[in-house]
Amino acid sequence: MSNDGNASLDPGSALTAVQRAILDAVLNLIVPPSADGRMPGAAEVGVPAYLLAEAADALPALREELDELERRARARCARGFAALEQGERRSLVEELRARQPAFLSRLAMETLACYYQHDRVLAGLGMEARPPYPKGYQVVQGDLSLLEPVRARGKIYRDVT
Amino acid sequence: MTTDVDVLIIGAGASAAAFAWSMADTRMRILCLEQGDWMNPADYPSTRRDWEVRMEREFSPNPNIRRRPEDYPINDTDSPISLLNFNGVGGSTILYAAHFPRPHPSDFRVRSLDGVADDWPIDYAALAPYYALNDRQMGVAGLAGDPAYPPHEPPLPPVPLGLAGETIGRGFNALGWHWWPSDTAIATRDYEGRAACVNLGPCKGGCAQGAKGSADITYWPLARRAGVQLRTRCRVREILVDANDRATGAVYYDEHGSEHLQRAEVVVLACNGVGTPRLLLNSKSPRFPQGLANRSGLVGKNLMLHPWGMVRGTFDAPLNSQLGPLSCTILSQQFYETDRSRGFVRGYNMQVTRGLGPVATARIGVARGDIPWGEGHHEAFARRYGRQIGVGICCEDLPEESNTVTLDATLTDSNGIPAPKITYRLSENSERMLRHGLARGTEVMRAAGAWDIYSDGPVRQTGWHLLGTARMGEDPERSVVNGWGRSHDVKNLFIIDGSVFVTSGGVNPTPTIQAVALYIADAMKQRLANLFD
Repeated sequence: MSNDGNASLDPGSALTAVQRAILDAVLNLIVPPSADGRMPGAAEVGVPAYLLAEAADALPALREELDELERRARARCARGFAALEQGERRSLVEELRARQPAFLSRLAMETLACYYQHDRVLAGLGMEARPPYPKGYQVVQGDLSLLEPVRARGKIYRDVT
Repeated sequence: MTTDVDVLIIGAGASAAAFAWSMADTRMRILCLEQGDWMNPADYPSTRRDWEVRMEREFSPNPNIRRRPEDYPINDTDSPISLLNFNGVGGSTILYAAHFPRPHPSDFRVRSLDGVADDWPIDYAALAPYYALNDRQMGVAGLAGDPAYPPHEPPLPPVPLGLAGETIGRGFNALGWHWWPSDTAIATRDYEGRAACVNLGPCKGGCAQGAKGSADITYWPLARRAGVQLRTRCRVREILVDANDRATGAVYYDEHGSEHLQRAEVVVLACNGVGTPRLLLNSKSPRFPQGLANRSGLVGKNLMLHPWGMVRGTFDAPLNSQLGPLSCTILSQQFYETDRSRGFVRGYNMQVTRGLGPVATARIGVARGDIPWGEGHHEAFARRYGRQIGVGICCEDLPEESNTVTLDATLTDSNGIPAPKITYRLSENSERMLRHGLARGTEVMRAAGAWDIYSDGPVRQTGWHLLGTARMGEDPERSVVNGWGRSHDVKNLFIIDGSVFVTSGGVNPTPTIQAVALYIADAMKQRLANLFD
């Protein structure tokens, strides 16, 4: 686990096994694993624990909406959400997005925050999994001779007497 | 009862730190009360893996989001721009970008030159020595020879342009527009005990390296060594005044909520353009029923915020633009001076910023619909991350009495002190200027080769620059303090923060706030024998 402060949190008690399976499926609709295996899916980076730590206030709504997805999946397809085809899942999640845009937007934003801090993701992007401090980064100084045309045009501020 | 002091400074931010350091050589008893704490750089977001998220929460510049115990809420629901600050030793310099441009000489003469607002009672020439002094104390990096300014020489070499700076610089060149490495309060070499910048990136979460010139690590250690006392977690409720219209001291709460009275011969306000009018308006008395030092009726009026636009461009080539001081690289002042053919007076600074971190890149991309959910997500992210450049448009905001800081009728801080309420609208001049800036920002992105460009403004979370609410001037009916910061109404009360700005210029104000504070300190020292005459 890479996100500071989350390692000891147990998401097990926050969601039922069914809810967790639905959430994993939804997370992979947001950020799927890459075809080349370089980037994990969002279901693989510990989002439930992250939500518990960083967005606990959203958990009641999360449980409610996951249960609603399950109810609608069973009503429409006679199977649980986790057993649906990708297209069926996407359709139900799009309905959820239309019904509860703020909720789903927040879930997506928290998911992206968790995802793009994770060791495997940063490794997939070719980055070191570390905080900026203390090592910092190298930045090329740049070519200051590009300023020659600016110098040549001369002063542009107004004189004030 | 606390020990009486000669000079009581309220607030420990940019202006107070410079002022306290300068006044220390008088050997007077100087005490500063600060409602926040000392910061520990080891706690700053850049020391943690989750730095991007921490910057949005406990290190958010918005006190209504941050909600630290030392913060006070600000009712900004009647403003398109949210007000930002930080409460602690160093004030908002803890979280500022350290973009450190000076204003132009014309900024102090807008009535004479452009027929709008008012001239300042002081001018660029009077402040020039104090800008130079402040540059040395804060450790300013830059490149001499900028044709947008009278000659000056930053003490340190500029921050790196990076590939992003070169790229946008070529765009400015293609259009024949001005650009230059910006003055930046970042130590690009080891400087006065501060370690050189190592390009951590998130300067606006506090600098763990100590390279950024925040006032807690520049002026304050020197001021304290020279004998200035600094007392933290002390929140001032009101300033007291006697029957002769002399300030006698301040009532404050300590961190446990206990009330104290601090007496002083001179009271100096340094609480920023919102905190200072809030305190004055809350200091009502029979002598000052409309608030202390407010016989002009101008305390809390003429609030200026610098309406801000943002243009962001995405480029094909990998630029590693996410690395380096986020908001410091180059500026353009091509459109800074007045040209009435543009449809507005005064002008704006274009502040080039670097790319965002991975979380912000993904979130903004998804929110805008540029990065999809599901299929294509990774490819769209890769096309943006490290390949984006921003151009901020910092518009000069002209003073208007209808833009105000007042006291909220119901909202209070944790000590029950009324919170400030903001009423603010962009003027038509500002709207036109902002539209012009967004169009020019788009133009330079295109000239630099961006394949995707978007712009937005006014950007809500940009109300850093809190100016004008206790303006200086020679006419007591049209200003709150005189040309060296002394209240017209209360002769031993001084204001040294951004409240005293007559106009805002079109650049980030910290260099001017500090130069004015140093100027006022010198003016006071020169008049010690007859300071209250």
